[in-house]
Amino acid sequence: MRISELLRTALRSLRANKKRSFLTIIGIMIGIAAVITILGIGDGITQTMYDKFGNNAKQGQQTTEIYYMPDNENSTVSGFNQQDMANIDNQFGGEIRRVRIEHETANINTRADLGDVSKNVTVSLLRAAPTDVKLVAGHRLTANEMATGQAVAMMKSSLARHQYGTAQNALGTTVTVGATTYQIVGVYQDQAEYSMDGGQNKFGASFLLPKDLYYQGDTASSGNTIKLTFDQGSNAGQISKQVAKYLKKNGSAANQGSYQYEDMEKELKQFSSQMSIITKFISFIAAISLFIAGIGVMNMMYISVSERTQEIGIRLAVGATPFNIMMQFLVEAVALTVTGGLLGFLGGAGLAHLIAPLLSSSIGGGIHIHAHITMTAFLMAFGTSAAVGLIFGILPARQAANKNLIDILR
Amino acid sequence: MIKLTNINKYYRQGDHRFHVLHDINLSVDQGELVAIIGESGSGKSTLINIIGFLDDDFSGTYFYEDHPIHDYTRKQFSHLQNQNVGFVFQNFKLIREATVAENVALPLLYTGKRRREIGDRVTAVLDQVGLHGYEDQLPQNMSGGQQQRVSIARAIVGHPHFLIADEPTGALDTETSQEIMNLFKRLNRDEGTTIIMVTHDPHVAAQCERVVKIIDGRVVSDSLEVHHADK
Ligand SMILES: Nc1ncnc2c1ncn2[C@@H]1O[C@H](COP(=O)(O)OP(=O)(O)OP(=O)(O)O)[C@@H](O)[C@H]1O
Ligand SMILES: [Mg+2]
Repeated sequence: MRISELLRTALRSLRANKKRSFLTIIGIMIGIAAVITILGIGDGITQTMYDKFGNNAKQGQQTTEIYYMPDNENSTVSGFNQQDMANIDNQFGGEIRRVRIEHETANINTRADLGDVSKNVTVSLLRAAPTDVKLVAGHRLTANEMATGQAVAMMKSSLARHQYGTAQNALGTTVTVGATTYQIVGVYQDQAEYSMDGGQNKFGASFLLPKDLYYQGDTASSGNTIKLTFDQGSNAGQISKQVAKYLKKNGSAANQGSYQYEDMEKELKQFSSQMSIITKFISFIAAISLFIAGIGVMNMMYISVSERTQEIGIRLAVGATPFNIMMQFLVEAVALTVTGGLLGFLGGAGLAHLIAPLLSSSIGGGIHIHAHITMTAFLMAFGTSAAVGLIFGILPARQAANKNLIDILR
Repeated sequence: MIKLTNINKYYRQGDHRFHVLHDINLSVDQGELVAIIGESGSGKSTLINIIGFLDDDFSGTYFYEDHPIHDYTRKQFSHLQNQNVGFVFQNFKLIREATVAENVALPLLYTGKRRREIGDRVTAVLDQVGLHGYEDQLPQNMSGGQQQRVSIARAIVGHPHFLIADEPTGALDTETSQEIMNLFKRLNRDEGTTIIMVTHDPHVAAQCERVVKIIDGRVVSDSLEVHHADK
């Protein structure tokens, strides 16, 4: 008998017992759905992390960072100056496309003097007029003010009211950050420090200052972080490690602190290996649920075989071989479990897509996790459910095939 | 065509064997219409199951044409059975959930034919048994006589060399029995199909050219041999 005929017969008999068939595959659906969900999220997390931090970031080039940590926490020494940049360029110019000192621009924690009051505040640095803030008093920093290097700043309204009573009163006062004293020309409505998607929001800071004034003189040409940019395909981690080693010996501030390269990729690998432990655990639970579901399938197939003894007899009498009969029941069991597996796959994929955003917002930090359902996951769902059908269907199917025709026909 | 020699058959019942068929010798030629009669429990069904390749557990020799059936495995059986025999049972034995057309098509599907190759044949055979246009009916909605026609259609759909019928009219009233009987006679006469049927009904047996009587597993009379003896 042709496969298409076997399938047709199997589907008809499953449809004839819709409720029973459905109840039988619930266990398989749950087992497969659990695995697909955890795989989808796990792969999603791994992928997101690599995209964001991995040395093989997708932007077409790879970047890494090297930090400088002074031995004395309060020291103002900078780890990198222009000489260091030139040295790195000389030593590693062939392998590194670009190296530059990184300056933070958003929500920098610092001390500020408001008149004669000293406070811990956050400041964000601007290069262009801030259009994304809602003005409460005064005016926004203008492009002209920034181009001409005027020492002007904006303050957030809650701080203004707290310090000076009203927003209006804050205008004209001064704030001193580092060596520069800025005049407050505008007050803006407070914003959350993190944006809706969990990323940093620079307009959540207490003050907005012109970047060129904040980093000037020595601070502009030196810093404690450098960013290395590599061409796609180069071994960024390896080279960065060599740069850090070189700096430890020859860096301008090598004797007052240490240069560190953190291999994000290595940490990611560690993270994803933790994820794979969780995945293994869930898979183990799912395997148990699949086993129990398989026994359910076996039970149902045994019932089906004994209910359809007459049908088996008829088929044998019109020329079916015992092998045909076995295949018929085996195909039926596999059709049943594969249906459950595919439904479970859909359910699991849906669940993963629902859970991933929840996970992103609970992690925060601008990390977007998208569930990532791979072809491998699909094949796994398909293969596993088919295997359950085969393993647990074979005994009932063989019983059907071994029925004695003469006894049935009596 | 069919040649049984010294067939003995035992059923195992617990630890003792029950001797059902005793030294049966029977030959049937192409184109015969044979009735097998005898009391209940005399072994008629047992005998025709052996003739129809449904039972391979017997001693003695059985040649079907040149095939030594007594030496064959069940697998070779299924093939022969599918190609050569059609079965008609007292209680019709149709698959209840399947339509008339699907029931009739079953033997052809097991020979490996495609569904669309066999539609015409199914229609033709249903016409032949007088069930034109019943393809999509379910057997459970049909009368006994109609169901038996479906079962006959299924038996002849694969152009079998012979038909085995175990009390085909046993569940039908006299009038319907006669219709089924007419159908068998027409098949036998027009198509040359060999038919071996078991019956309790003397009217049915009277219409068959040859009657074999069995008592307690032994052939006690065979009208063919009586003829020979007369000559
Ligand atoms: N599978 C079996 N196991 C044990 N005994 C059996 C089996 N099949 C039939 N018998 C016995 O063998 C004997 C012959 O049975 P069989 O069915 O051939 O009789 P029959 O002539 O067809 O009777 P009926 O006219 O009632 O159908 C009976 O006594 C029956 O009880
Ligand atoms: Mg009988």
